[in-house]
Amino acid sequence: MTTSPDVTRAPTTAPTTAPPAKPRGRAVRTASWYAVALLISSVMILPILWMLTVALKGPSAVFEVPPRLLPHEFHFKNFIDGPKVIHFPRLLLNSVVITGLSVIGGVMTSMMAGYALARLRFPGRKVWFYVFVGSMLLPPVVGIIPLFQLFKDIGWYDTWLPLIVPAFLGGNPLFIFLARQYFLSIPHSIDEAAKVDGAGHVRIFVSVMLPITKPAWITMSILAFQMSWNDYLNPLIYLYSSEKWPLSVGMASFASQFAGQTPDWNLYMATNLLYMLPPLAVFFVAQRYFIQGLSALGTVNQR
Amino acid sequence: MAAYVFLAPAVIGFTAFVLYPLFRSAYFALTSYNGLSDPEFIGLDNFRRMFTTDPSFWPSVRATLLLVVLYVPLSLAIGLALAVFCNQRMRGVSLLRTLCYLPVVLPVVATITLWKFVFNPQVGLANQVLDWLHLPTSEWLSGENSAMPSIVIVMLWSVGATMIIFLAALQAVPTELYEAARLDGAGPRTVFFRITLPLISPIMVLQVVLQMVTALQAFNQPKILSPDGLGGPGFSTRTLMLSIYGNGFPKLGQVSQFGYASAQVWVLFLVIVVVIAATARFSSIWTYSDHVS
Repeated sequence: MTTSPDVTRAPTTAPTTAPPAKPRGRAVRTASWYAVALLISSVMILPILWMLTVALKGPSAVFEVPPRLLPHEFHFKNFIDGPKVIHFPRLLLNSVVITGLSVIGGVMTSMMAGYALARLRFPGRKVWFYVFVGSMLLPPVVGIIPLFQLFKDIGWYDTWLPLIVPAFLGGNPLFIFLARQYFLSIPHSIDEAAKVDGAGHVRIFVSVMLPITKPAWITMSILAFQMSWNDYLNPLIYLYSSEKWPLSVGMASFASQFAGQTPDWNLYMATNLLYMLPPLAVFFVAQRYFIQGLSALGTVNQR
Repeated sequence: MAAYVFLAPAVIGFTAFVLYPLFRSAYFALTSYNGLSDPEFIGLDNFRRMFTTDPSFWPSVRATLLLVVLYVPLSLAIGLALAVFCNQRMRGVSLLRTLCYLPVVLPVVATITLWKFVFNPQVGLANQVLDWLHLPTSEWLSGENSAMPSIVIVMLWSVGATMIIFLAALQAVPTELYEAARLDGAGPRTVFFRITLPLISPIMVLQVVLQMVTALQAFNQPKILSPDGLGGPGFSTRTLMLSIYGNGFPKLGQVSQFGYASAQVWVLFLVIVVVIAATARFSSIWTYSDHVS
């Protein structure tokens, strides 16, 4: 956000720079830096490349010993057959709806609460701020059983409501905190001007504040998208019918079907690749916001 | 007045989804509640059963602590080392950073399931690579002793998340300090331990707390990676979270032990509170502050 430094810019410091060394020493250092960089890159990228090659193999080639790095024939049909195993299009739609609504709800209510806490004077303002910050420290697991019982009692078991409604009511204390921080950084002359023009709070919030705070809510939306797309425990608990599952639960059950060795790994790998695409796309389109969001998440790491 | 309108959703949500469940779960912990009949008050019986007769409780404490002890120091050390490494002016450094973020960007379940296959003893990538390097292979997730370390490896693959935070901290260190140190003839090691580390120590302490809290609540990795989904083989990967899940949300046909699971929730919660309190208490000793001359 505004307070966290932009991690994407070029490094400004080189903590390890020693006094200018002899050219030969520098060449050795550069070479060794690249050697280490290559090692790190391979650890990060190898499993993904392997996933790609297996996704393109035919059923008999998956278990070849020794394995080939490149399949000798490409089975693009895996990308058709794999998703069929778990009704991918339907689960994708489920994920999109659940995630979309969670993002809208969570960001909207957090922005509203942040606005009230930062720009409005009312009794109990400080108290509520501390309450929300305090609830950031509360592990989500503490309430999981009574919440489950509550939603079951009001007939929301096996529906998407327990995954969506909480986002519309309170969203996420971290987002409230971030929204408040951002609103505090906006000069007060802006609301004054709008008030003189006769705008009410709702009007100020919608037409003045939302446009100014765009970086804040884009970052929050990306974070909320990540959290919801990654969420596994909640849909696992609440959704009994497999046709209501989001992709996270679908993929986990897909993978666990392979207790032994079945020749269908290629189908799984192809499907998993498709499941990864939306977050990857978001990352490459909005890399800066994504990384700022992750830095902000560092204040409340939930992985 | 307007303030309450803006705050209402958050306040309602906090009351209904945070405050109410908090007290309710404390009450459940003292009952034999099973979700079907009314909760029956049984005092501390759940805790007695946990500490004395439940054969899986102490193993799950052990599994949880093992995960914390392996994961937290490694993720902080590797995260910081990567951040320092990626904070240098080299051609291609931004590509390297992007590659480190990649595992963080991918959906958690997608990476976990992928590693489930990487660790397949016969044809998984892990043993293929070890074979190729002529190193001894491993049973990974299906061995009692290697299962938890394997889970930690999967978690460490996403160390880019920690790296991002340290990178931001490193870039906030004023350049003048480094220049002054260089003029005084300090070597890279001295600079790192006398300037960099003290200045990022507040972030470090925060990360210690958050990583511990994260590790104590590990669920997705052991749930998806253990061969039986219950923390096997044996009890080797049955973390407290998995134990809570298993007791509270068992397979169809078995009775949910909401009371007993709530008691376990509170044990986990208290451990987390102790970790936060202890770190906060000692952080004044570790962290650098301006008035120390």
